Amino acid sequence: MIANQPALIRRELWEHRSIYVTPAAIGVIVTLGVLAMLMMASGFAKELDLAIFGAQNLAGDAERKAALTVFFLGTSWVFLVALMFLTVFYSLDSLYAERKDKSILFWRSMPATDAETVISKLLTAAIVIPSITAVGIWLTHLVNLIVTSLWVSAKGGDAGTLIWGSISLFDNWLAALIVVVASGLWMSPFIAWFLFVSTWAKRMPILMAFMPPIVLGLLEWIIFRSRYFLTTVGERGDMTPLFHGMSLERFFEEEQWHDGVGNISLLEHMDLVGFVTDPGFWSGLLVCGILTTAAIYVRRYRDDS
Amino acid sequence: MTSLVNARNVSKHFGSVRAVDNVSFEIEQGKILGLIGPNGAGKTTLLKAVLGLTDCDGDLSVLGFDPFKQRKQLMQNICFIADVAVLPRWIKVSQMLDFVESIHPNFSRARAEELLQQTKVQPGARVKELSKGMVTQLHLSIIMAIDAKLLVLDEPTLGLDILFRKEFYANLLNDYFDEERTILITTHQVEEVENLLTDVMFINDGKILLDSTMDSLSDTYVEVMASGENAQKARGLGPIAEHEMFGKSVMLFEGVSREHLEGLGEIRIPSVADLFVAKIKEARR
Repeated sequence: MIANQPALIRRELWEHRSIYVTPAAIGVIVTLGVLAMLMMASGFAKELDLAIFGAQNLAGDAERKAALTVFFLGTSWVFLVALMFLTVFYSLDSLYAERKDKSILFWRSMPATDAETVISKLLTAAIVIPSITAVGIWLTHLVNLIVTSLWVSAKGGDAGTLIWGSISLFDNWLAALIVVVASGLWMSPFIAWFLFVSTWAKRMPILMAFMPPIVLGLLEWIIFRSRYFLTTVGERGDMTPLFHGMSLERFFEEEQWHDGVGNISLLEHMDLVGFVTDPGFWSGLLVCGILTTAAIYVRRYRDDS
Repeated sequence: MTSLVNARNVSKHFGSVRAVDNVSFEIEQGKILGLIGPNGAGKTTLLKAVLGLTDCDGDLSVLGFDPFKQRKQLMQNICFIADVAVLPRWIKVSQMLDFVESIHPNFSRARAEELLQQTKVQPGARVKELSKGMVTQLHLSIIMAIDAKLLVLDEPTLGLDILFRKEFYANLLNDYFDEERTILITTHQVEEVENLLTDVMFINDGKILLDSTMDSLSDTYVEVMASGENAQKARGLGPIAEHEMFGKSVMLFEGVSREHLEGLGEIRIPSVADLFVAKIKEARR
């Protein structure tokens, strides 16, 4: 079961180049955006001198750390949004494309079981894509810190103090890794649903994936005048157990980010024990297991050739 | 002789349709068996059952494995080409070799590369950039580099021109087949494989109409081209099929000795295609 996984996952990376092209493209766009901002800022020489002077002499270490962490969160957020789209489209395509182009017959002529194949796609969506996204976040962050350091130095600032002395690299990067990998596990029931639809839908898997929950939500509202189902599905996206029960929205709205004087450790805002002991985490894995088994069953018994 | 495939009362139903209807047969090691049947006869369904791609009723054993339940073990010793168009179009030739090498314990990359060097297929090319003939060469190179006991070919040369078809079968015979290996092949182009086969099986409406070695076909079936009174006499011996050619009657006999037919006209061994047509017509009467 495990021995074939490296080969099967490598196949996914060959077939779905968007898995690494998307983070790379976002990294380039973010870097270009930062460069454009720095160039625009260069036009305001007086204000810039004042800002650098203020950042070096008036602001404290906590404020500088907070400002750099907010910058990190801002750029990471773009990656997280892309991760969501990437995972949805990858999962929906992964078992559908091989049926559409009939290459499923070739893949099934190899000594790999249907279970191994489906699990390789689940692992790719839930772990590999988030991990590559984390690397994308790190590299982009690093490149932008270097670019900003060079710019600050060129403008007469002390990059050592302003940037490298103030950034919490370990805290930021580990937090990013935890968030993306945790999101893969937390969202695994959705991923497994998309995989199931991918192997089951005869056409338009994206429609088949989103129509049933929407119809179910509408039916609930028409019959019971309640929105329990869609609210539950929607709220799962917040991953509240990872942030001490706080929604992501509130997490970013916390005043301490704006004031720059609160707790600037991202890791301290996370509750890993609370996350892995949360019933929602385990019930999600259970639903993921059921839907993955269904996807394996459909791939094994279905005959599209 | 070792029996590689053993089927006893195998059936496969799709609703009320019996795609394979209670068939029993054996395939022995070192044979090249042609499975011949019209469209919808149940050939592909039977092949899929042998390959473990579909479940079926009855007892089916392939290399000692239950093909549906032990497909992974089976695929280590079986290769199949279902259709030349099934290779993933996005993959590069080198990636294909990397993948098969990492997943198939009986694959020899050196052998595959050696075979590919005899073609125009470049390692850096993607499948979608190759012509259909080149895709076949790639697929066949991979298959021939796998040390498998049984090779299953389902219409392997469909859509290929005559040059590629001839080359395909020549490569198969010269570079692949030996007495340790067994090939099961289905095709509509019966004439092209007729000379390769050691055994033949006709299937129609899910039932086996004929299961014979090629050698015994010539003992059992004989064709006579006769006219006039001789044709009348020959007709009295109960041919299973008759058609007109050049103003003469061509009659196909089953189990009638040559001595009875000699003197009635020109005697010849029927082609597999003629025999197939006769058997299908007989079954439909």
